[in-house]
Amino acid sequence: MGNSSELRDRCQQALELTKKHGADEVEIFAQTAQTITVDAENNDLHTTSSQQETMIGIRAFVNQQVGFACTNVDEDLETACADAVQLAKASPRDEHNVLDAPQPVQPVDEIFDAKAADFTAADAVAQAIRILEIAESIDQRVIIGNASVSSNLIERCIANSRGLDLFESSSLFTYFALATAKDGEQVSNMAFKFDATHFVDQIDVEPVVRGASADALGSLGAGKGESFVGPVILTPEAVGSILGGLITFQLNGKNALRGSSRWGKELGNAVAAPLITVIDDGRLAGGVSTSAFDREGTPRARTVLIENGVAKSLMHNAYTARAMGAANTGHASGSARSIPGIGPSNASIAPGQTSKDELIGEIEHGLLVSRFSGSANPISGDFSGVAKAAYLIKNGKLERPVTGTLIAGNAFEALQSLSGVSSETERVFTTTLPYIRLEDISITAE
Amino acid sequence: MQELLQRIAARADGWIELRFQSRSTKQIAVRNGELEESSSKRIQGIGVRALVDGVFGFAATTDLTETGILRAMESAQGAAKTSAKAKKNRIEGLAKATLSTGSYPLQTSDPLDAHPLEEKLALVMRIDEMIRNGGDAIVSSNVSYAEIQDEKVIVTSDGACAHLFSAIPEFRTMAVAQKNGEQCFGNSSISTQGGWAELFGIRSPEEMAEYTIQMAIEQLTAPHPPGGTTTVVLDPGLVGVLSHEAIGHTVEADIVLGGAITLEKMDKEVASELVTMIDSPTSDHGTGATGTLPVDDEGVQGRKTTLIDHGVLRSYLHNRETAAHFGVEPTGNARAFEYTDAPIIRMRNTYIEPGDTSFEDMIAGVEDGFYCVGLGFGGQADSNAEFMFGVREARRIKNGKIGELVRGANISGNAFDVLKSVDAVGNDFQWDLGAGTCGKGQAAKVDAGGPHLRCKATIGGRQ
Repeated sequence: MGNSSELRDRCQQALELTKKHGADEVEIFAQTAQTITVDAENNDLHTTSSQQETMIGIRAFVNQQVGFACTNVDEDLETACADAVQLAKASPRDEHNVLDAPQPVQPVDEIFDAKAADFTAADAVAQAIRILEIAESIDQRVIIGNASVSSNLIERCIANSRGLDLFESSSLFTYFALATAKDGEQVSNMAFKFDATHFVDQIDVEPVVRGASADALGSLGAGKGESFVGPVILTPEAVGSILGGLITFQLNGKNALRGSSRWGKELGNAVAAPLITVIDDGRLAGGVSTSAFDREGTPRARTVLIENGVAKSLMHNAYTARAMGAANTGHASGSARSIPGIGPSNASIAPGQTSKDELIGEIEHGLLVSRFSGSANPISGDFSGVAKAAYLIKNGKLERPVTGTLIAGNAFEALQSLSGVSSETERVFTTTLPYIRLEDISITAE
Repeated sequence: MQELLQRIAARADGWIELRFQSRSTKQIAVRNGELEESSSKRIQGIGVRALVDGVFGFAATTDLTETGILRAMESAQGAAKTSAKAKKNRIEGLAKATLSTGSYPLQTSDPLDAHPLEEKLALVMRIDEMIRNGGDAIVSSNVSYAEIQDEKVIVTSDGACAHLFSAIPEFRTMAVAQKNGEQCFGNSSISTQGGWAELFGIRSPEEMAEYTIQMAIEQLTAPHPPGGTTTVVLDPGLVGVLSHEAIGHTVEADIVLGGAITLEKMDKEVASELVTMIDSPTSDHGTGATGTLPVDDEGVQGRKTTLIDHGVLRSYLHNRETAAHFGVEPTGNARAFEYTDAPIIRMRNTYIEPGDTSFEDMIAGVEDGFYCVGLGFGGQADSNAEFMFGVREARRIKNGKIGELVRGANISGNAFDVLKSVDAVGNDFQWDLGAGTCGKGQAAKVDAGGPHLRCKATIGGRQ
């Protein structure tokens, strides 16, 4: 892996080359990633791989026209700089294509482990073996169809012609298990668990294997469901699938600017039940996506997006903030391979006051949905799909697992009418989500 | 590059695969008249895969010097050795295959590079404007053009040495219409393997814009469909989606070994005898199929593979590892998207063979059902062949006539049950996966299609 001064020098070099080719403003985003991955398939190790790549992304501005180019080839850097300028010159002018003046950025702690550089392929293999061994010790019926352990050392550097010059190192270890349980002819639904940490010593694959295995075993022997309209408890994973996409789409400043978000005009109004508070914290301690600055070098911050059901803020990058006359919230997303987009960092739905068991306990006749496999349209809000690893709830208890059960509804309406948010939360990739109770969902057994 | 890779492979200790890839992509995207992106990306490197002690190791590098490639090779071999001790079922050998030593130049009379950036940008801007002017209800438009051009050299220590070129352009349109606070969207997309003329030979951009506008606006006032299992006529696009997504993945040998429903179904009846399903390295029945792949990323010459022959499951899709496991010849389905990806089993062009029923007769034979066209929003399928796909355009069929549009429909079922219920196969054919990209840990450009098909499936929507 290179060092900070090497990547910084490369950025400055690209900056000068792009100016030389005729740009009046330039932004360079460079990223080096060094990755080790061990994949397991069908209860056995499969492929171990290692790689390193440095990508340089060049955004050239000429008279408020923009072009973007990127390359991972050292010798092609000047060609890429020239390409970016040429693309800019051919583009239409847009008055909002202006770089922001740099803001002071405070570094974040605890995203880089000095020990990460010593984490070898053999260490990753050892963790993958642990996943397989734990699964085997839990129950012979569990099959780990797929599992992976990955170590990532990342350096990011951003520089622009306004004098911005930022650098950050991070380490991230990710691991997942995809389990199925097989008992004679019976095959369970697939169950998936993922976790990640920035620190070698905090790698703990056990909860991931135990969680995925338990979910797979639990859905064995699922029978036919029942058709009714009633309450549904979504697990954090299902909350992400049914509500997560809609919330991030609707709060994306670009979608608001371009007229495809209904919530773009709803700031200050209630868009959800008062139980719902959504926060995105780019500096969250231990967050998977924690970072000091976004894809444009704007400081990351804690943004309250929805507070007690009321839409408070959209997510902006420099372009949408300027175009909409709003403050830049530091939500420029993407890698050195792409132009800055907009997206959340460590988004969460705040926990409620009621435990998950209490939420279930209050239901006379309902359904618990562990995973949702279907479509959730972030524009119309309509969702419909198969409830995977679902359980029928009767008289406050999980009665039995059911299969072949469809659920359908509208996420805008569901957000307004939902009646419970659990005090427990779980990490689902980069998000942290509670269990949520929805009302009046149409449930159909096939 | 070819000579260098051959020299390194010849000296390698054990089996080795060296894959050089140089990729150039361009993307232009416009939304509501504003340019969202005009970009050019150049990505180049070598992926090295080694088989040591019955285990694969993989490494990727951007250092294209002999020293750099040798270092990556050692890293791949080292990675394999690291896990060899703990590997339970070691790979005993790779299946014998017809390895390619050929060169495969680009097949087009109208190369993408002959069309300047200004022309591509102007087209995207013009079509976006056309959509924005498509009616008062239209509140948002989105049009994009993208192209991926690849050069690959694939060399293995047991004799493959192939040099391949490909170009894949794609064009997409999208519109959002709004009425009384409710929003609906329409979309259309095309892609091909070839040049500019081949791309817009599929459908003109003006036609795509008109269709996109019409779908967005018409859906605003369309009723939601009633749910239930009924007779449906699927268009070639949805036949392709069903073949690829719901059936195709369950016959990928790695998925089969992971416990897919197809493991116990070989040589058994899985569909109506009217159904023959193929995965092909070539563009059969029509030109320009996007997944065309004469040689796969293990250097294996592609083989047309009959998956289902008159209703009977006859083959899985293989790489050299799974072909050895099952004792069959590899089918040429090992693919890697970028040099940083190790090859895994992927589809190419997947389709159902045409039959002998005319589209008119097929519709005329339906008393009460739906005509479903194209993939709409969302789609999911499991390794047990259970699927649910959003339908882009679903219309009622009543007494043999196509009628009103319904909104937000989806179809679901078990794909094998759906194929068993097929009672008519059209005499037409079209490749129509749009600008589809398949995801399985890494991306792949694939195509799918077929004739129209009449069968039974569950229609759902918001109830």
